[in-house]
Amino acid sequence: MDKATLDREFSDLYRAHLKDVYSYAYYRVGNHHDAEDLTEQTFLQAYRHFERAVAESDGRPLRPWLIRIAHNLAANLYRDRSRKPQTPIDDTQHLRTVHTTEDLVEGRDELARILEGVQQLPDDRREALIMRFALGMDNREIARAMGRTDGATKVLIHRAIKQLEQIVQTQGAAA
Amino acid sequence: MAETLFGSEFDLEALLQRALAPVDPPENLSKHLEQTLTSIADLAEQELESWELSAMRDPKNWIPGITRPVAAAAIGGVAGAALVVLQVRGRLRAAQR
Repeated sequence: MDKATLDREFSDLYRAHLKDVYSYAYYRVGNHHDAEDLTEQTFLQAYRHFERAVAESDGRPLRPWLIRIAHNLAANLYRDRSRKPQTPIDDTQHLRTVHTTEDLVEGRDELARILEGVQQLPDDRREALIMRFALGMDNREIARAMGRTDGATKVLIHRAIKQLEQIVQTQGAAA
Repeated sequence: MAETLFGSEFDLEALLQRALAPVDPPENLSKHLEQTLTSIADLAEQELESWELSAMRDPKNWIPGITRPVAAAAIGGVAGAALVVLQVRGRLRAAQR
């Protein structure tokens, strides 16, 4: 594949998945500033290795590969800074920027509690839920992004939802 | 999945779908990223072109890999033939004088 074709294909990939990568980064790191950095680094790294990824993909979608890059970079970010997200997602700000007025009127408290619950999940469970619900990825895509088997991913998501359910119920009982 | 929570029936997966709604990247990020990627692609192209020019100056890079000995033999053969032609012409000129 010549360089012009490769650049064109990368450009298509970028346009198709910028929102996915940014959404993943935002829910993963919890603030817009780090999410922007993470998104930029993800695409720069993807560009460097794009030719090999295309060759090795056998025509399979490259979204899991992109998200895996973001996942690894986010892990490095935390390791380098030796910290968890600086601030949990600012529920009020997040709900205002991401959701419609109708959503907010209908169930602002519920959505805030769900988000709070998601933040309390272990990293792998939280990531699986972000990929499933924010990005709409299926089990196979999530498995590829997380380097797990399809079966292990199905179990991971099931356990994540069960744990979240418990967290939210506990919050509800305490409120 | 219907559970009683907050005093009403709710579907956790539907709520998750709404709580984790996709987030639009800021417009300045898209612009900045596109500029960066374009300049990197241009830079890579320029580097490739300058490498090609410098590589062309070195005859070892003219024809890569396994074809090099064949090409060397062919070029050597042509040069040899040219030399013979020049020598014959030289002898003819000398004889004419």
